[in-house]
Amino acid sequence: MGMLSRMSTIVKSKMNRMLDNAEDPRETLDYSYEKQLEMLRNVKRGVVEMVTAKRRLEIQAKKAQDNLAKLDTQARKALEMGREDLARLALERKQATITELDGLDQQIAGLELEQQKLTNAEQRLQGKVQAFRTKKEVIKAQYSAAQAQVRIGAALSGVSEEMGDITLAIERAETKTETLRAKAGAIDELVETGVLDEVGGGDSLDRQLEQISASATVESELEALRAGLPSGNKKALPGGQS
Amino acid sequence: MIVRILTEGQFNLPGAYIDELNDIDNAVVEVVEQEDREGFAKNLKRMLDLVRQNGTPVPIEELVESDLVLPEPDITLEEAEEIFIGEGLIPD
Repeated sequence: MGMLSRMSTIVKSKMNRMLDNAEDPRETLDYSYEKQLEMLRNVKRGVVEMVTAKRRLEIQAKKAQDNLAKLDTQARKALEMGREDLARLALERKQATITELDGLDQQIAGLELEQQKLTNAEQRLQGKVQAFRTKKEVIKAQYSAAQAQVRIGAALSGVSEEMGDITLAIERAETKTETLRAKAGAIDELVETGVLDEVGGGDSLDRQLEQISASATVESELEALRAGLPSGNKKALPGGQS
Repeated sequence: MIVRILTEGQFNLPGAYIDELNDIDNAVVEVVEQEDREGFAKNLKRMLDLVRQNGTPVPIEELVESDLVLPEPDITLEEAEEIFIGEGLIPD
C-alpha cells in the first residue's frame, strides 16, 4: 500500500519504543506512564501557545479594523481641504489594510481549527493514559513474567501509537504557529513603520493633514482679526508696517 | 482490522474493505504524482469516509495497535508529496 504503509511507518517511528530494554517489565510500565504524562503536558502547552498566537493575531486584526475608520476620516478631511493627493494616499492605505485584514481573518480561523484538533487530541490521550494507568496496576498486581510480557506489549503499543499520532499533530501545530508568529512579527513591523499607523502617531499623512488644518485655522483667524480692525488700519496690514 | 485516522482516532473496520481501501490508496498515489490537487482531495475524502462510515470507533479506554494508519483529513498535497519523497520524514 502506497500512502497507507508510509503513514504507518511514520507514525510507528514516532512511537516510544521502551519495552525491549527493561529488565523488569513492570518498570517499563511505570516509565512509559511517566512519558505519557509528559506528553500530556506537552499537548497542553501546545494548546496554550496556540491560544497566545491567536490572541496576538486578534489584537492585530482589531487594530487594522480601527485603522480602516481612521483612514476613511483622513481621506474625507484631505478632500475637504482640496488635497486629493493625500486623500488618494489614505485610500490606498485603506485598501492595503483591507487586504491585510482578510489574511489575518483567515489565519485566525486556521488557528482556531488547529487549536480544536489539538484539544481533541489532548482529550483522547487523557482517556488512553487513564486506561493505561488502570491496566498497569492490574498487570503489576497479577504479575507473572511470562504472561506479563504479552499484555504489557499490547497495552504499551496501543498507548504509544496514540502518542505517535499526537507527536505528529504537535509538530504540525508548532510549524503552523511558527509561521504565524513570523507573519505577526512582520505585521508589527508594518505598524511601526506607519503603513497601518494610528492617527496622531507621528504618521506623515496625519502630520500633513494637521499642518494644512493648522494653517487653515491661522488663515481664518487672521481673517477674523482683519475684520475687527478699524477701517483706517486695514490697508496697512498687508505690508505689515502698521 | 484496526485503522487509525491521524488526529481522529481509531476505527474497527471489517476486513472486507481492505481491497477497496487498497484501490483508493493506489489512486491517491497516482494523483499525488500528477500533482492533481482536486483529485487528491477527492480521493483522500473517499478513503477517510470509507473508514468513518463502515468502521466503528474504538472505545477510548481500549489500548490496541493499528493495522493501518491513514493521514489526517487536512493533509495538503505538498505534505503528501513529502511523505512519498521525503525519506527524511522517517527517522530511526
